[in-house]
Amino acid sequence: MNENLSRLMDGDLDPSELDSLCGSLAKPDLVATWSCYHVIGESLRGSSSIPCGYTARFAARLAAEPTVLAPRTRAATPPATWIFAAAATVAAVTVVGWTAMSVIGESPAAVAKASEAGSLSAARLRPSTVPADYLLAHQEYSPATAMQMGPYMRAVGTQPAETPADRP
Amino acid sequence: MGAPRTSTRPARRYALPPVALVLLLFAASARAEEANQWLARVAKAARELSYVGTVVYQRGTRVESSRLVHLYDGGKETEKLVSLDGPAREVIRNMGEVRTYFPDAQVVRVEPRTFRNAFPSVSSEQQKSLAQFYDFRALERERVGGHIADVVAFEPRDGLRYGHRFWSDVDTGLLLKARMVNDRGEVVEQFAFTDVQVNAKIEKAMVEPSWPKVPPEWRVKQLSAGDVEVHETGWGATRVPAGFGKIMEGYRKLQGRKNPVAHIVFSDGLVAISVFIEPFATASVPLGMRPGEGGLNVYSVKQDDNVVTVMGEVPPATVRQIGNSVARR
Repeated sequence: MNENLSRLMDGDLDPSELDSLCGSLAKPDLVATWSCYHVIGESLRGSSSIPCGYTARFAARLAAEPTVLAPRTRAATPPATWIFAAAATVAAVTVVGWTAMSVIGESPAAVAKASEAGSLSAARLRPSTVPADYLLAHQEYSPATAMQMGPYMRAVGTQPAETPADRP
Repeated sequence: MGAPRTSTRPARRYALPPVALVLLLFAASARAEEANQWLARVAKAARELSYVGTVVYQRGTRVESSRLVHLYDGGKETEKLVSLDGPAREVIRNMGEVRTYFPDAQVVRVEPRTFRNAFPSVSSEQQKSLAQFYDFRALERERVGGHIADVVAFEPRDGLRYGHRFWSDVDTGLLLKARMVNDRGEVVEQFAFTDVQVNAKIEKAMVEPSWPKVPPEWRVKQLSAGDVEVHETGWGATRVPAGFGKIMEGYRKLQGRKNPVAHIVFSDGLVAISVFIEPFATASVPLGMRPGEGGLNVYSVKQDDNVVTVMGEVPPATVRQIGNSVARR
């Protein structure tokens, strides 16, 4: 069923399957999956508008997810879905990784230390957020600052609870 | 937002006589002057008025509202901004310092607020580029937040910058609404007062934080943009869009960095673009495009042993174009 949702989003769903899928969208868990896919899609396209608390809930669910080791049957999954599924996983990891980095990554020194510890791969250790001091430095020259509107209104609007320390 | 263009000039079928051409050129410089005066009035009003109201901030499909109280008393500004939806946030801004309270995480963040760029620009070069690269127009008055507003538009003449539209209170000049749009006319970011009292009687208590300066058990996160030392850096960007002049070049000592970070700032009179360069090995910067923080786009790219980061209130393609063109001069 989730694959059908994914195919619907990609425009690959057979029209004959549409009615039954729309009918089953009344189920709350399927609706949750649907919105989850959209959040992932949006964040992949860079138009991220991840709702507050999403990351935490997602992390909890991901942690609770059993690791499925059984091989999949080939015919069940058309190639487009494979690509999407792979991308979704990357996004999920990134989201979880970002949160982790925001907690760890208080300073470049801390990042370097974590890197030495070698518990995570180097690629994962690049933080997700732009350094707050860069943003501060930019604001010193941004006319939006003079208009009083820009920077800190953005700050209030965009800071999720998980990363208060590293966002502007 | 594709508001209909109101053309004020009838189409001309015949060639302009030289006198008319001179008059048009004169009109263009008058336009620049007019735009500059308008910006000066709005920037001053935002600082030197006392007001209280509800502000709605929108970027993409997200909408958030906050309560804003701004007190100007004896030459001093104090401001309190409280988020009304989503997680509770409170920002207190005094002269030169911004404190943000995050009650859920029990963190208070303290950062300086310095503004080093004269705005509107005093440089005649930037005033000229403002008129050359934006079409400045006064539109019909509208009502915003219960006030009659003058509406002005800065429409870019190329696709390398965003369009800006501003609504200011006719009586006081206070900015009531500001909107940034992309080349498809979509709203990138918007602020608007839904209600506001200008020249309101504001008590000191209304701009005081709801918590002590540092609540017990809370963590303090001190941020700093470091001191800047104006200096040639040896770095340059070859593909900075026309009209963006360099307004600063130097080095910054940032917290936790061994080496100073090179910082170059460009401005076209309405927005600024920053370029940062630091050694890759010690830089804690994510690579690639980071769009979506409202109108502020950020792009980082590795150039040999360095990371170049470009940020500015311009479209993603513009920060990318600049970032990829940064090299040693």
